[in-house]
Amino acid sequence: MNEIPSSVLVVDDEIQIRRFLRTGFELDGFTVQEAETGGEALRAATLKPSDLVILDLGLPDMDGADVLERLRAWSTVPLIVLSVRANEAEKVRLLELGADDYVVKPFGMAELLARAHSAMRRQLRAARGEPVVRFGPLAVDFAARAVFISDQRVALTPKEYRLLQILAQHSGNVVTHQHMLREVWGNEHVEDTHYLRIFVRKLRRKIEADPTQPRILLTELGVGYRLASDPPAAASGAPPATLSPSTPLVGNGAS
Amino acid sequence: MRSKLKLAAMRRELRGIAIALLLIAVTTAVAILLRHYLGILRGSVLYLVPVMLAGYYLGVIPALVTAVAGVLLSGYLYFAQLYSFKVASPQEALNLVLYMVVAVVVSHLANAARRQTTIARKREQEMSDLYAFSRRLAAAASAAEIFVAIQNHLANLVQRKVVLLGAADAGSADGVPERLRAEVARIERDEGLGRTVDDGNGNTWLIRRVSPKTPDFGSVAVDLGTASGEALADMRQRIDDALADAAATLERLDVARALNEAKMRSETELLREALIGSVSHELRTPLSSILGAATILYNAPALAGDARLHELTGVVRDEAERLNNDIQNLLDATTISSQQVRPKLQWVEPVDIVNAAIEHRRRRLAGHPLTLDLDSNLPIVRADPAQVEQALVQILDNAAKYSADGAPIRVAARPQGPAVVLSVHDRGAGLSQEEKAQVGGRFFRGPRHAATTSGSGLGLWIAHAFISANGGKVEVESDGIGRGTTVSLYLPASPDAVASEVMPQEAMTQEAMPLEVMPLEVMPLEVMPLEARTQELTSQDVTSQKVTARKVAAQKVAAQKILPLNLAPPPVTPQQDPALEVLPPEALPLESHADE
Repeated sequence: MNEIPSSVLVVDDEIQIRRFLRTGFELDGFTVQEAETGGEALRAATLKPSDLVILDLGLPDMDGADVLERLRAWSTVPLIVLSVRANEAEKVRLLELGADDYVVKPFGMAELLARAHSAMRRQLRAARGEPVVRFGPLAVDFAARAVFISDQRVALTPKEYRLLQILAQHSGNVVTHQHMLREVWGNEHVEDTHYLRIFVRKLRRKIEADPTQPRILLTELGVGYRLASDPPAAASGAPPATLSPSTPLVGNGAS
Repeated sequence: MRSKLKLAAMRRELRGIAIALLLIAVTTAVAILLRHYLGILRGSVLYLVPVMLAGYYLGVIPALVTAVAGVLLSGYLYFAQLYSFKVASPQEALNLVLYMVVAVVVSHLANAARRQTTIARKREQEMSDLYAFSRRLAAAASAAEIFVAIQNHLANLVQRKVVLLGAADAGSADGVPERLRAEVARIERDEGLGRTVDDGNGNTWLIRRVSPKTPDFGSVAVDLGTASGEALADMRQRIDDALADAAATLERLDVARALNEAKMRSETELLREALIGSVSHELRTPLSSILGAATILYNAPALAGDARLHELTGVVRDEAERLNNDIQNLLDATTISSQQVRPKLQWVEPVDIVNAAIEHRRRRLAGHPLTLDLDSNLPIVRADPAQVEQALVQILDNAAKYSADGAPIRVAARPQGPAVVLSVHDRGAGLSQEEKAQVGGRFFRGPRHAATTSGSGLGLWIAHAFISANGGKVEVESDGIGRGTTVSLYLPASPDAVASEVMPQEAMTQEAMPLEVMPLEVMPLEVMPLEARTQELTSQDVTSQKVTARKVAAQKVAAQKILPLNLAPPPVTPQQDPALEVLPPEALPLESHADE
């Protein structure tokens, strides 16, 4: 996406995984650096900083979470975690430690690339301070604190806006329940996920064409929410679902 | 028996008297010799020696006999009118009386001293036995050692036969006379704590449970011999004391064993987790390479030109995905069969679960037109989202597997009372009455199904286990063979969990939560209807009467439990929005109405 090719540091002890990741990233225009161990990864990240880090959690010399923590002590490089652990608590922990997103093994290359681009966009946006971000039909104007769907202004309550703003700032990367609850309701309510459920439902009624088939505000079950980084693809990609006539369309007037 | 006892005592007494008389004879001989060769004329004190000896060793009666004989003989040998039993002067008579008194007193004292010594010695022995017993108990690492200690100690105590019974490590009732067996059995069956029984040979047996609290530690039968009365009571007391000590130690060991077992269990659990984790890692890492490489090839421009190659890479990708799902099923089955299913409950939007499950099986379901009938206003449920999703995925898998390509599948999410029902309806193979009864068993696959499709038969079983763990149930309906199947997952409301989830009152007031979610704090049900508010509330001046309004709302909700739901979305009024943004936080309770 840039003129200068982006660089990615792939940290994994399995050579086969590094091999296909190298091919996948190179086909997408990245230059690839590899590291086999945590120590090697930290050295490489210091000596030749890259634009993106793909970090496997099961490293021979140290826990992936440790590498993440040490890296985050001085670097804000976009970082995607590769995890075999389909354990929601573990994912949440890694995200709280500063991972931008995660992909559960086994995964498709397209999925990883989508996450990676989201994470890099976020970095870029933070650096440029873009006032408006778009996710398909959704536009969030940070300066005006306004939200549009297909250029129609949507009326949101301050808390609804705040939720959407946090998600938009993460530009398509997952945001944990805990993070959202902390940011919107404060530290003492990080366990009150039912608030979040209700607010998200209300938000979806305002921004989604069909709140039961969200295309913009997506759920990461058991972990958090994300804004679809590529909603047109999801919308036009012939979803297997066809709505039955009995489905109550409880969208909002804006859509 | 009583006369026998008396006879023995009398014999013992007579033997003492005989020895006493012998002593007197010896003393007299010594006195005569002394007089004859040394000319000692006044030696009546000599006769106190046999009295003392008899008193000390033989008891009171022999001592008295000795004293009387001593008085007579010393009167004969030493007092005036020598060699005659007559006493000449009152002085001599007084001497004799004094001698008599002294002899009696001395004999008594000697006897008492003797008895004291005996008792002291016995006490000392008992103390040292008990001490040794306690030490053995303290050092005992197993119940078996304690039983040996009890046996030895009691045997020492009563100097008779001791038989331990009942406890796992102790012996059998072989050593107990026939007549006692029934009693022993009763004690072991936990009927009464203990009793004394006569075995028919004049011996009294004491049967006692080792611990009064539990029959688990077995019982003990002690042969108390011919003891009776006080001796018997005393013996019983001491046996009971020893058993109390032993029981306390056994209980301590029991606690230790329980702790030990708990430790073992948690270690096994850790091991199992490590194993599952390792298997999952070992299998999934190569699978990741295969799937990752396949997805790259699938999208590679070089292969896109050749439809056959493109399709082949698609096959690799899909099969890798299927293998991954099978591994997941095996891991789930392991978790379930080791009873390790522990739902991590959280509030979940049911529609999210349905969407995630469908997304997970997007390719699997691609051949079937999918109809979704999802209620947009379902109660939010408390469940483990990953487990419920996995259950629904299994049902979707089955629906796709057992219906022909192109046959529609319908997925619905509907409220039913306080519960939410997720159902999957297919128009596939269906189930006969017989199959319906069997379905859900582990590895069950109907013969008809097994013939046409591959599969492990784990799916419905996993779904059932996960949904049950989350407090729900799975129902399978079918109109018969070839007429399709409907599987419903019920996610229940469990009202007890709501209290801890509720927002504290003061936080509510400080934070000026939008009124729409207010009823949360008083919801009596786990399932919360969205926007549970009343029309009355909207007409009130909520800015100034915020707390009162909340109370009214609370009462409303409490009275009606679930209020009519307000589904109508507020009209979009963009002009109001910027104004809202600058409102001070105190005014925020109005925000939900400002929308309308």
